[in-house]
Amino acid sequence: MLAYLVKRLGLAVLVALTVSVIAYMLLYLSGDPALAIAGEGARQADIDLIRKTYGFDRPLIVQYGDWLLKLLRGDLGVSMYFKTDVAPLIFSKLSTTLLLAVYALTVALVISVPLGVLAAIYKNSWIDRLCLAVAVVGQSMPNFFFALILIMLFSISWRLLPVSGSGTWQHFVMPAITLGYYAAPAFMRLIRAGMIEVLSADYIRTARAKGLPTHTVIFKHALRNAIVPVVALAAVQLGFLLGGSIVIETIFALDGLGYLAYQSITFKDYPVTQIIVLLLSVIYILLTLASDVANAWLDPRIRVA
Amino acid sequence: MTSQLITESLVTQPPASTAMPQNVLDITGLTVDIATPRGTLHVVRDVSLHVKRGETLCIVGESGCGKSMTSLAIMGLLPKAAKRSSTRFEFLGEELSQGSKGHINDLRGNKMAMIFQEPMTALNPAYTIGEQLTEHYRHHLKASEADARARAVSLLEKVGIASAGQRLGQYPHQLSGGLRQRVMIAMSLMCDPELLIADEPSTALDVTIQAQILRLLADLQKELGIAMVLITHDLGVVARIADRVAVMYAGQVVEQGSAAEIFSVPQHPYTRGLISCIPIPGRTIPGGKLGTIPGVVPSLLGDMTGCAFRDRCTSAQASCASSIPVHETPRGHQWRCVLEPTKVIAA
Amino acid sequence: MPGWIHAFGWPDMKNNKALYVGCGLLLIIFCMAIFAPWLSPHDPYFQDLTYRTVPPVWYEQGTWLHPLGTDQLGRDYLSRLFYGARISLLIGASVAVISGLIGCTMGMLAGYFGGRIDMIVSFFVTTRLSMPVILVALATVALVGSSMWVVIMVLGLLKWDRFAVVMRSATQQVRAMEYVAAAQSAGASTLRILLTEVLPNVLPHLIVIATLEAASAILLEAALSFLGLGVQPPLPSWGLMISEAKSYMFFSFWLIAIPGTALAVLIFAINLAGDGLHQWLTPQERG
Repeated sequence: MLAYLVKRLGLAVLVALTVSVIAYMLLYLSGDPALAIAGEGARQADIDLIRKTYGFDRPLIVQYGDWLLKLLRGDLGVSMYFKTDVAPLIFSKLSTTLLLAVYALTVALVISVPLGVLAAIYKNSWIDRLCLAVAVVGQSMPNFFFALILIMLFSISWRLLPVSGSGTWQHFVMPAITLGYYAAPAFMRLIRAGMIEVLSADYIRTARAKGLPTHTVIFKHALRNAIVPVVALAAVQLGFLLGGSIVIETIFALDGLGYLAYQSITFKDYPVTQIIVLLLSVIYILLTLASDVANAWLDPRIRVA
Repeated sequence: MTSQLITESLVTQPPASTAMPQNVLDITGLTVDIATPRGTLHVVRDVSLHVKRGETLCIVGESGCGKSMTSLAIMGLLPKAAKRSSTRFEFLGEELSQGSKGHINDLRGNKMAMIFQEPMTALNPAYTIGEQLTEHYRHHLKASEADARARAVSLLEKVGIASAGQRLGQYPHQLSGGLRQRVMIAMSLMCDPELLIADEPSTALDVTIQAQILRLLADLQKELGIAMVLITHDLGVVARIADRVAVMYAGQVVEQGSAAEIFSVPQHPYTRGLISCIPIPGRTIPGGKLGTIPGVVPSLLGDMTGCAFRDRCTSAQASCASSIPVHETPRGHQWRCVLEPTKVIAA
Repeated sequence: MPGWIHAFGWPDMKNNKALYVGCGLLLIIFCMAIFAPWLSPHDPYFQDLTYRTVPPVWYEQGTWLHPLGTDQLGRDYLSRLFYGARISLLIGASVAVISGLIGCTMGMLAGYFGGRIDMIVSFFVTTRLSMPVILVALATVALVGSSMWVVIMVLGLLKWDRFAVVMRSATQQVRAMEYVAAAQSAGASTLRILLTEVLPNVLPHLIVIATLEAASAILLEAALSFLGLGVQPPLPSWGLMISEAKSYMFFSFWLIAIPGTALAVLIFAINLAGDGLHQWLTPQERG
């Protein structure tokens, strides 16, 4: 297992480096990064100042190398718009986004596991079709539309939850539901497929022959084996949830990384955008690495080789 | 040697008139139908069986004759699409055909146990041997973890597995096929069952291991006095281990009786055909030809009247197409055939 | 195409309702888009300030002059709905084509040649998967300048990953087939083999993925436009319509409900058709 880990780690580092190059090069999409940051109609003097401050007049390789080295030392630069160091700014928002992603993942699993198990047990019946229908509808609705509907219902009509902000756990409910509902169908299909395959296995017949109650057979024996690919998907989906939270956070003004990213783009604070892109990518890379490791660990055939 | 076996059995078999020990399992008229898009499959048709304590009943027949389905029907493990019915279904003296699902669940794995053909896939790869041995013991008998583990260790030793304590912490993929089958046997004995059903327990194993497993089953049965139903397609196994034999064909029991009678005076043409297919030491002429039964098993779909074997029977007559009488001797030897009983030993 | 019908048979009407319902809905929306100029009662850009935020006809204050009401600038919603279909369909199709071309090429090369090329392509895919798509898309559109064509290019250049992955494995399967070996030994060039032997056989997978990616692209564009960094006003992108109506949503819910539902129905139809296609074209993978 050690050799496998080392190989995976090496690949992860390589990918992270490549993403960092892309993240840095984003600035050059508009041609002149100094102009992009200064904005249209800025004075030439301001543009030149920006160019000097950020070192855009140096060769590209030097710029990138300098930026990367500073990053690795923990120096994430200064935000032009917020007028503070980027590092504390980002990490204060990171916890909010991570919390939201975890809540959303929980919502997704709470929806998808029962539906997936039900659909597998009653395969090809109306229950199965109903569960699949719920899944398809979940993937069809634009998440921002769903969010607005939730706001209309829970905040305006029923006055149960706050519309925006991020003070209390109630502020996370609607964002988590919105994000989670969109992620649920993928899990549901995976669990259904896995359960269908597992339920026809010989060891399930053995468990039933031992007279174990049905819920033990399904959850202890069947689900335990069907869930392995779900763990892998969960880590990957967590990564997507982190990236996809930008729209949801913006709608709910939830003070997380996604909202910060949106603000940085809107206010042309592109250096901050770069860092966030890189950060989210690194988190995703770490998550897939963790899921590969968890996968290997969950299968005793690999763990106790 | 076979004639010696037969003589011994004839001597030890008690005459029918004296009081016999009670049947552990007594089924009459068991029928299993499966609805398919193409019609109803009659996989088990009017099967009647009984087994006593300490007795081994072998159900023998070719693939598709319904022997596995019969065993699943007894255990209540039929697939959802299958419908089971029986005139009488007595287990340990209790009528079960109207029994509640919960009651049957309590009995399954507890007082009636089953082991299957393929040991390599019969155990859950995600849990240890110990966990899988003890979970139903703890469930049925509400025993403690410690008690369950102690019993598991003693049973593993009884089935001939060394360093039993260590084995409890191992995973199935760390054991060979023969060892896994022994574990399955131990698992079936955990709750002290009265009836053990073994569906081709040795077929998937190496030839050398086969003999070991069968001997193990025979020894355990003698020691614990359980009733055993052993399903096999191999007459050699039957000769070795059976007290009584039920021959199945196309979903029906065509002949049933003591092993001695089935081998010495088989009455049904199918049974005779089967026996002529295998070499029997002392009877088969060296260098002589082994018999074959030409033809294929008929379809189990739709209406089935008359004898299912008539298309392949060398002694078939016109009356075979209608209702077939059931013969029975005082000793309990039964068979379905229109032909007159004969005392001629099958050549 | 006709060769297919031979190969797969006409799709089973009874068991594959998804395909028929999905395609039926899509056809309706397609017609809405194509015939928009004839179906629309008004010019979607015309601002009639005397008829601002008029509710749809089923409300009390509604009128048949504007069956689906008007928005805050007095533009007829029904017309904007029809013209908005054009935008969504155009974006979905264009992105699917662009990302399809990129992803298929990469996937087929990786699957056919294996080895180094496979490693490189897999590395690209892994790298692309690590990047938060919507964030990168947002930043790119902001830097390059937001317009419909920029959105199409950006999404097309980002969303090829699933094409690459599926095409790679499909190509690997096809490559193991005998007719490929036969073509190789007959001396056919690689390009020829790829186009004449491999491509027709991976086409079913390609079509299914294309429908899913089109749906995903439409949703992404809607999100980008909703955040103000996609299609620019006054174009009637459904996502943009929802964004413009956001602040009026409490009193005029239909302003967001109508384009939102339209998006949901379109995506639902595409997903349904995709599922149906999958069922029809890959019978061996049925559950």
